[in-house]
Amino acid sequence: MDVLVENVTQVWPGRGEERVVALDNFSHRFASRRFSCLLGPSGCGKSTLVQIVGGLEPASNGGVRIVDPSNPQARRPLGADSVMVWQNLNLFPWRSVLDNVAFGLEMQGVPKAHRHQRARALIASVGLSGFEWHLPGQLSGGMRQRVALARALIMERPIMLMDEPFGALDAQTKIVMQEELLRVFDQTRKTIIFVTHAIEEAILLGDEIIVMTARPGRIKEILKVDLPRPRSLEMVNSKAFGALFDRAFHLIREEVMTSMAQQAIALEAR
Amino acid sequence: MIPSKRKFVRIAEAATPVVVIFAVLLAWEFFVRWRGIAPIYLPPPSTIVVYLFRMLANGSIEFNLAVTLLRIFAGFAIAALAGVTLGVLMGMSRLIARIVDPWIAALYPLPKIALIPLLVIWLGTGELYKIVISAVTAFFPIVISTYAGIRQTDRGLIKAAQDLGANRRQVQLKVVIPAAIPSIFAGLQLGMGVTVILIVAAEMIGSSSQSGMGFLLIQSGQVMETEKVFASLVVLAIVGAVIIKLQQWIDRKVAPWTAYRDEH
Repeated sequence: MDVLVENVTQVWPGRGEERVVALDNFSHRFASRRFSCLLGPSGCGKSTLVQIVGGLEPASNGGVRIVDPSNPQARRPLGADSVMVWQNLNLFPWRSVLDNVAFGLEMQGVPKAHRHQRARALIASVGLSGFEWHLPGQLSGGMRQRVALARALIMERPIMLMDEPFGALDAQTKIVMQEELLRVFDQTRKTIIFVTHAIEEAILLGDEIIVMTARPGRIKEILKVDLPRPRSLEMVNSKAFGALFDRAFHLIREEVMTSMAQQAIALEAR
Repeated sequence: MIPSKRKFVRIAEAATPVVVIFAVLLAWEFFVRWRGIAPIYLPPPSTIVVYLFRMLANGSIEFNLAVTLLRIFAGFAIAALAGVTLGVLMGMSRLIARIVDPWIAALYPLPKIALIPLLVIWLGTGELYKIVISAVTAFFPIVISTYAGIRQTDRGLIKAAQDLGANRRQVQLKVVIPAAIPSIFAGLQLGMGVTVILIVAAEMIGSSSQSGMGFLLIQSGQVMETEKVFASLVVLAIVGAVIIKLQQWIDRKVAPWTAYRDEH
């Protein structure tokens, strides 16, 4: 499934007459079975974009189309082909790991025995067997992250939208989860749109990196990542990785400076 | 050496509150006897215990406590049912919330005891008046907490459920109501507290039914049987503590996740 974003503009009502332009005329085709990373300073509208793609937030202007390359004429309702993995996970704290993972199937009316069987299989695949009856609050950050991943994977949607999913994890857990996600991507070949502000993460995971400008969010530059798959953490030391890092760092640095200047101005205006 | 020392500290910590209680009772006993205070003003603890056993032996405590508890649970059940239902409806329908809100805003701050004269005129001083006054009082904290709990549901959880294919009804049933359970229970605990207060108070006023702990208290007071007053107070205090502990226990059973709520 391709995700075709066409001239999406998102404007938030600000204080008084003031309006905040979060996204400005953003257009891009996220290709099928590719891992795309949205990289940009905070406030550049990258989270907003994935919510619009997921059909969870209406765009002020422009639109998103989900296109099946084998049947380009078919109209797909927004949100039906995608599933979201959230920055703060949004696990249901009163539900066991099993019932969190099975939530989507439960909503579809899948009988309990069947959905639990499916959920168990996914819980096993993310390495959480034995924790089926734990509550999310009893798990570590990395384990909760795995539950969120399993809960999204059980939906078997061709598009996975990930909004800084590893942002809150400690460095070691983050590495393990990145490897886990690479494994999932190699096995399932979903179309992934991954929001991050970490340059290494974007290079390690992505096929392409869409570097965004500070507010209003536009595309600054698109970097192709030609590192071979399967990827591994050792590639961080390669020459190609280093070159990409320097390029991305340079681009991001400019935008972060702009973003900081904007914040300073906004603070003074207050 | 060290583990046994730790164990000693733990035992000492656990024993301290009990020791303090006995010390206070002992001081009370000696003070009353030393100053020769008449039991009509302040009976010593030992006498109160004697009276307590006497009242238990002749069944007056058992009977009056049973009557009071029945009234408490009747009033509480009505308040809980009405309060939770209306709170949930308000949380789900903006129209209902708009209609009900001014009524709650106007009636909640009103001291419900002020309604007693009116209720006595309408309902007399029988069972119905006692149950109605306590139910009306307990209703407000329950409905307010329930409504607040429903409204404060984490937007992120609602969005996540929608993303996973939940429709409007499923979002309400599977996300909004479970998320509100801790608030609903907080409301029920407050409601239970005021029910106890109002039932005992109502039993003291217009005692046509001649029963209940409130009646026992006021009757003993009127004939200056201070020992009986204290014995009744002891019983009420113990019953209150048991009810609160019971609710906390139920709370933990029904909403165990609240213990880990602060983590994300």
